[in-house]
Amino acid sequence: MKRRYFLKFIGAGGIGTGLGMLFGQAIKPPGAKLIPYLIPPEDVIPGLANYYASLCTQCPAGCGVLVKIMDGRAKKVEGNPLHPVSGGKLCVRGQAGLQALYNPDRVQGPMRRKGARGSTSFEPISWEEAIGEVTTRLNDLSAKGESDKLYFLTPELGGHLGKLADDFMAGYGSSNTIKYDLFDYRNLRYANRASMGIKAIPHYDIENTKYLLSFGADFASTWLSPVGMSRGYGEMRQGGHTGRGKFVQVEPRLSLTAANADEWVPAKPGTEAVLALAIAKEIVDSGHYKGSDLKTWKKLLSPFGLSYASEVTDVDKKRIRHIAKEFMSTRPSLAVGGEGISGYSNGVSGLVAVNILNHVAGNLGIKGGVQANSNDLFGGNDADTVGAGIQTLINAAKESKVGLLFHYNNNPAFTTPGSAKAADALKNVPFIVSFSSFLDETTALSDIILPSHTSFEDWGDDFTNPAPGFQVATIMQPVVSSVYKTRSLGDIFIGIGKAVGGTAKAKMPNDTFATHLKASWKRLYAKDKGMSASSFTFETFWRETLARGGWWNEKSAKKRKLSVSTRSVARHVSKEPAKFEGESSKYPLYLLPYAQAGHLDGRGANIPWLQELPDPITSVVWDSWVEINPKTAKRLGVKMGDMAEIESPFGKVLSPVYVYEGIRPDTVAIPIGQVHKLYGRYAEKRGANPLEILPSTVDTRTEVYALNSTRVRIAKVSRPGDLVKMDVYTDELGRGIVQTVPTGGQFKKSSHH
Amino acid sequence: MKNLIVNFIILVIFVVTLGVGYLIADQYIGRAPEQPINFSHKIHAGTNEIPCMYCHIYAERAKVSGAPNVQRCMGCHKIIKTESPEIKKLAGYWERQEPIPWIKVHNLPDHVDFTHKRHIKAGRKCQECHGPVETMDRVTRVASLKMGWCLKCHAKYNVKNGRECWTCHI
Repeated sequence: MKRRYFLKFIGAGGIGTGLGMLFGQAIKPPGAKLIPYLIPPEDVIPGLANYYASLCTQCPAGCGVLVKIMDGRAKKVEGNPLHPVSGGKLCVRGQAGLQALYNPDRVQGPMRRKGARGSTSFEPISWEEAIGEVTTRLNDLSAKGESDKLYFLTPELGGHLGKLADDFMAGYGSSNTIKYDLFDYRNLRYANRASMGIKAIPHYDIENTKYLLSFGADFASTWLSPVGMSRGYGEMRQGGHTGRGKFVQVEPRLSLTAANADEWVPAKPGTEAVLALAIAKEIVDSGHYKGSDLKTWKKLLSPFGLSYASEVTDVDKKRIRHIAKEFMSTRPSLAVGGEGISGYSNGVSGLVAVNILNHVAGNLGIKGGVQANSNDLFGGNDADTVGAGIQTLINAAKESKVGLLFHYNNNPAFTTPGSAKAADALKNVPFIVSFSSFLDETTALSDIILPSHTSFEDWGDDFTNPAPGFQVATIMQPVVSSVYKTRSLGDIFIGIGKAVGGTAKAKMPNDTFATHLKASWKRLYAKDKGMSASSFTFETFWRETLARGGWWNEKSAKKRKLSVSTRSVARHVSKEPAKFEGESSKYPLYLLPYAQAGHLDGRGANIPWLQELPDPITSVVWDSWVEINPKTAKRLGVKMGDMAEIESPFGKVLSPVYVYEGIRPDTVAIPIGQVHKLYGRYAEKRGANPLEILPSTVDTRTEVYALNSTRVRIAKVSRPGDLVKMDVYTDELGRGIVQTVPTGGQFKKSSHH
Repeated sequence: MKNLIVNFIILVIFVVTLGVGYLIADQYIGRAPEQPINFSHKIHAGTNEIPCMYCHIYAERAKVSGAPNVQRCMGCHKIIKTESPEIKKLAGYWERQEPIPWIKVHNLPDHVDFTHKRHIKAGRKCQECHGPVETMDRVTRVASLKMGWCLKCHAKYNVKNGRECWTCHI
């Protein structure tokens, strides 16, 4: 290159750059803005987090949580280390609660229906209009003298919100509060009251037991109080202070909990109660049981001989005897019964059988066994065990006995069996008011939506049920200001109550739910000696309680004797296994719909974190599947990932196949929670919903739908499957990943306890 | 013909560097954007000697120093100089309860984890990075805020782990 050209090029470059920079300086947009606070909040320092104690409401267990708040936004939820249930731990649904708060598919303000029922065509209205409309409807109904045609469909509302709602209903003149959730443990409550006479769910002391016998209780992922129980389980197995306890799980499908057990007993579906009573009979016959009513027990349990039990349950005689021997000789031992024994047509009987087993082994009222929970603090945490259930509502709606329906935060149109036709029944109700925060299948049927806050935006409290042996009251406080134009459900009730007037107004002494809650706690403080002794004034007590996350007092634990008498349980004991719909010749396989860790009853499906979380057993994401034993799969000619049609006498669903060694060859299982018709962008149109093909069989004592109540048949369909799972192989292919050491019998000698 | 090619190359170089210059302008020329209110640091910090952290309240406690909240401005200007046209603008924002949309003069990329708190705690004066703000009517950026500039100072004060990548890029 010539020197001249080089200089020319350099010159051009230099001038270009210079002009470019000047040019940029002159016309470039000025860049990022710096927006100051108008008035700075006192406790906010940008970029520094505050932690507030509150309550998790992603399931009814009532875990205390700490929410990390930075710059006015909730960033992270963890367990509250001081809280006796969560103890600083939290399950995946609790962690993902943030995505319920910030979910883009929330109902963002009050809305009125515009199009046809269920068409999801709504128009926004103001809060005044919405409260006015509801008030008019209520006044019209009471003017006709039909106040009792008001129904309130809700899950169990913990604490003082529940009482406020009850007050409103009573003040208005209706007694029709229907409490419903797919998993609300009505069978358990009923069975415990019937056999032991206790109202609150007792504390199953897994932590201190040395032998845990679980009948289908998937406590590691969903059952009852998964965080508290998993913590207890960890202590029992590795805590050291009691020595490693043994754990045996009875269920037809190897759940996450069963995968942790020492022994898995895949009894035939529906026969778990027979197995429990056969074990109880072995214990009684062996002379372990020393009660004065030994004779009546012997008589009651006489039909459950080993040969019969072994034949019905498909469990070896020796094995039953062995479990019975270990169960009575290991002290303390504990039997628990979960969905795998209560989810049948005779669910209550199964749970009663578990109570009998605990009684004859001597596990009631002891450390490491079943401990009664007192509920004096809240005047009886009186979970309604025998009151009206969802079927009462469906029938009343069908017969046009419902004039006005209030609906909050449960989704019967999705969680009841397809043949119960809940959605059709609800369409019969002239006017439905929904307080739900999400437009799910049931909320879509409503005429007006008054959306309520999530737990991050609202005040509230919960008197934990089941409590850990002593009373625990957890307080929920607003940790962020409301994201959308929603309101506290308590405030909505107070607003409607005041507008309606009369007794309903008189029952609402406070103007806001926040003041109502504080006033209610002031009454508790005056009543409870433990609370008033803890601090000089109520104001300091309230501040301390909010900072700590609630009130609990381990010293308030009262030892109470528990027992089961033959007289109270005789009518619940039956020799027959649970019934299944569908002839076994046409429908050869038992269907087990089960709750999955992330989705529970389907409420987690609209949360992307939970959708993309691989299922702990199958590692599937964003989908559902049908678990089939390899033998059965071979017989049916299906492979992993093939699409299959699962047909019951009540309908059919399509689902990809997951070939799974951990399920009986005569059984298939499908997780619950997917394929919502509505419920936001993340939940809709993926997977299969096994509830659609269930019969509307209930345990008539409790109106609880039996999940495990039908047989199915399976056929391969030609459509290619689209199963997405994170692991490729389900076995180790001889790579020796799971190392085993043969014991060679050297532990036999030292088997003393 | 040859001349044509050379001229063409010159043109290409000119256009390309013009673009480059446009893009990198902010990093080399002291930025002094026009602000929604003609606020003068010279009057406040210079003449009246108001300490920096009287208004930038988060500087010793957080990563950001914090643009002064509007309430802080109004604390004085409810009374002081209410007739000035610029103060009237301020009063307008306050009446509408709107924050003032200031333009950022000092802006760091997201991959830099800079914190005011540490620098103040280490005894650095605001002016070491922001220049003699108390003499400026409109704030101009005096430092390049580039990595070399950071490191020079870290070396000068012998900052512990001052050359570690993860000290700033976490």
